[in-house]
Amino acid sequence: MWILRLNMTDRTYRLEDVPAAYKNLGGRGMTSTLVRDEVPPLCHPLGPNNKLVFAPGLVTGTAASTSARISVGGKSPLTGGIKEANAGSSWAQYLAALQIKAMIVEGQPKEKGKYWMVHLTWDAGTGKPKVEFSPADEYTGKDLYEVFPKVYERFGTGVAIAGCGVAGEYGYANSGIVFNDLGKRPSRYAGRGGLGSVLASKKLKFIVADRKGAPEVSIVDKALFDQGKKKLDDAIRSHDVTKPKGALNTYGTAVLINMMNEAGGLPTRNFASGRFEGAAKIAGESIFEGNKTRLGKDLYNHACSPGCIIQCSNTWYKPDGKEHTSCVEYESDWALGANCGIDSLDDIAEMVHLCNAYGLDTIEAGTTLAVAMEAGVLPFGDSKKAIELVHEMGKGTAMGRILGGGTELAGKAFGVPRIPTVKGQSMPAYEPRAVKGIGITYATTTMGADHTAGYTIAPEILSVGGKADPLSPEGKASLSRAFQATTAFIDSSGHCLFIAFPILDIASGFEGMVEECNGVLGTKWTSDDVVKIGAEILRKERAFNEAAGFTKAHDRVPEFMKYEPLPPHNQVFDVPDSALDSVFGEM
Amino acid sequence: MPDVVVDVWLYGVLAAHGGEARQGSYANVKVSLPDGSTMADLLKTLKMRTEERSITFINGQLSAMPGLQPDLGHILLDGDRVGFFDPRSMWPFQYRHGATMTDEMARAMDVEKDHGLHHTYTKK
Repeated sequence: MWILRLNMTDRTYRLEDVPAAYKNLGGRGMTSTLVRDEVPPLCHPLGPNNKLVFAPGLVTGTAASTSARISVGGKSPLTGGIKEANAGSSWAQYLAALQIKAMIVEGQPKEKGKYWMVHLTWDAGTGKPKVEFSPADEYTGKDLYEVFPKVYERFGTGVAIAGCGVAGEYGYANSGIVFNDLGKRPSRYAGRGGLGSVLASKKLKFIVADRKGAPEVSIVDKALFDQGKKKLDDAIRSHDVTKPKGALNTYGTAVLINMMNEAGGLPTRNFASGRFEGAAKIAGESIFEGNKTRLGKDLYNHACSPGCIIQCSNTWYKPDGKEHTSCVEYESDWALGANCGIDSLDDIAEMVHLCNAYGLDTIEAGTTLAVAMEAGVLPFGDSKKAIELVHEMGKGTAMGRILGGGTELAGKAFGVPRIPTVKGQSMPAYEPRAVKGIGITYATTTMGADHTAGYTIAPEILSVGGKADPLSPEGKASLSRAFQATTAFIDSSGHCLFIAFPILDIASGFEGMVEECNGVLGTKWTSDDVVKIGAEILRKERAFNEAAGFTKAHDRVPEFMKYEPLPPHNQVFDVPDSALDSVFGEM
Repeated sequence: MPDVVVDVWLYGVLAAHGGEARQGSYANVKVSLPDGSTMADLLKTLKMRTEERSITFINGQLSAMPGLQPDLGHILLDGDRVGFFDPRSMWPFQYRHGATMTDEMARAMDVEKDHGLHHTYTKK
C-alpha cells in the first residue's frame, strides 16, 4: 500500500511507503491525521499550501458490505477549520484496489485558468499504480451530466470518476467533490464544507480511476474477516431500519420528513418554525407513492455504490415516467423544500438535479436560498424563482456568487440576523430547539453544524449506560462526546454510517464491524479501542481547529435560537454553555 | 356526553385507515370521540390494531414506538393532534435525543435498558 502525492505545481507524482504511524489509519482517521500533520492551519483554503486528501476506509475494497466510502479532507473554505466529507462510490473501492491508502493533492500551478485531469491505472509491469496527467479544459464550465458521459467515452465505461463542478471552479465555499454512482451519474457527493473549490484551486478537474488488473485488497486474517462480515450482514439484513423493504429501502432517508414534522422539529422557512404544512407532500412516503402512480409499480430504492445491502438511494420520476433525478435525500428534500416553504416534489427534484449538475451541496444551497427568502430576495415558497437562483449559481452571476458563498455569507450580504450556522456551516434538518441532543453535537463538532457527526452506537461500550441521566444537559453532553468518537471510528472503517442503526441494537453486528477491521489489519482491537481510536481522531481535528483560531466561542449555536421560541413547542435552545464546553473539556 | 375532536394524521400504509380522506401517501382526518376517550378508543374507531402502528405522536410528543406503547390509556383532549406512522418508518436515537415525549413515554423510556438508548424497541 502507498501514499500517492500529486504535486499540481509541476504535475509530478510520487509513491511513498506508508509510515508505520499511519499503517492502521483509514478513511477519516487517515484524512484528518494527514491534514493535521501537513496542512498549515492558518493557510488560505484556496491557496497553494492547503492540501486535499482522499482515503478509502479500512475495509473498503474488500467484500465487506456497505463499505465503499471515500473520505476527503482538507482545510474548509466554508468553515476555515478542518473538514472531512465522505461519499459512497465505486471510486473508493478502485482507489483501495490500486493499493493507495491515501492520495494527497498538493501545490498549485502558477498558470491561471488551465485545468488538468489525472488517469490512475494499475501498471502490471512494475506492480504499482501509474499516474498520467492530461489537459481538462474541454470539461470545464459545463454541466456535469453533460461532461460525465464524455469522460466515460474517453476512458472506458469501467472507470470511476472523482472531480468538481463549476461551483468549485468559481471558488464557492459551497462546492462538493463529486463521485459517480452505480448508474454513472454525477450524484454522489462529499458535499459539505467547500472541498470542491479546494480541488479546483489545484486546477485538478477530474481524477479518473481504473482498477483493471489491480490486485485484491489484502486481508491478514481472512477467517476473522469472514466471521465479522457474516455478523454485520446478519444485523443489517434483520434490523427494521436497514433490512430489505425496511424503512430506508422503501421510503429512503426522506422517511424522516413526516417524522420530524410531527415531532415539531422540521426546520421550516429558514428555521422560523418546526412544522411545515406541506410536509406530507414532499415526504419519503409521498416519493414512494408518487413513483408508484407514475410508473405503475412499487419501486424500492437502489445502492449508491457496489456491495451496499441497505440500498437507500431513491430515484424520482417525471409524470411521463422518465427519470428526473437521483436521489432526493432527506436533507436535500428538506433544505430545498420545507426550509424554503416549497411543497412541490418536482421542483425540489429539479433543484437537486441542478445542484448535482453544478457541483453544489444541496444542504448549503437550500439553507442559503432560505436566507435570501427571509431577506425578501424572493418569496418563501417561490420554487420557480428558487430554480432560477440555482441556475445563477451555476452561471456565476453576481447574485449567484453571493449565494455560492454559502448561508453565512449570504446572510451577511442580505442583512439577515437569523443565520442557522455553526462555524460557518449551515445546520441540517433537525431543529436544535426541538431536539436538544443534536444541537449539542452541531455546536461542538469540529466540522461545523453536521448531522452525521454524532451517530448513536452501543451504550455498553460507551461506559455511559446507566450513569448520567441522558436527558440532563450533562448527560446529553457526555453522550454527544461518546457518539462523536464512535462516529469518527465508523467514518474510518469505510462503512456507511447507516450501519450504526443495526449495530446499536444488535450487539453481534457491532462485534462484526470490529472483527472485519481486525481481519484486514491483523490488529486486536476491542470495543474500548473503538472509542479510544475515535477520540484520538477528534483530538487531532480539535488541535487543527484551535491552531486555526477556533475557541469555545465557536462551539455555540446561533444566538437567535436562544431567544426565539420555536413553534409548535415554543422552546428555545437552553443547554448551558458549560455543558457545551464539557463535551470536549473532559476528553 | 360531549364529543372531543382529534386531528389525526395517518402516514404510509396507515393512510388506508383514513378512508376517503386518503391523499395517496397520507390521510388527515378529524375524528369525533366521546369525552374521556383514550388512545385505545381512537384506534378502535379507526379500525386499526395497535400492532399496525409504529411511531406515534400526541401533539408533537413521542407517545409510542414499536414494542413500546405506553399510550393506550392516554386520554385525548379536544383539538389534540395525533400522528401515526407505519412500521416502515424510523426515528434514530440521535435525531430524537432530547425531543419531547408524553409523560407516559418518558417514564417507559427511563425504565428501559440504558434509558432507552436504542433505535428500535421491537420485542421478539
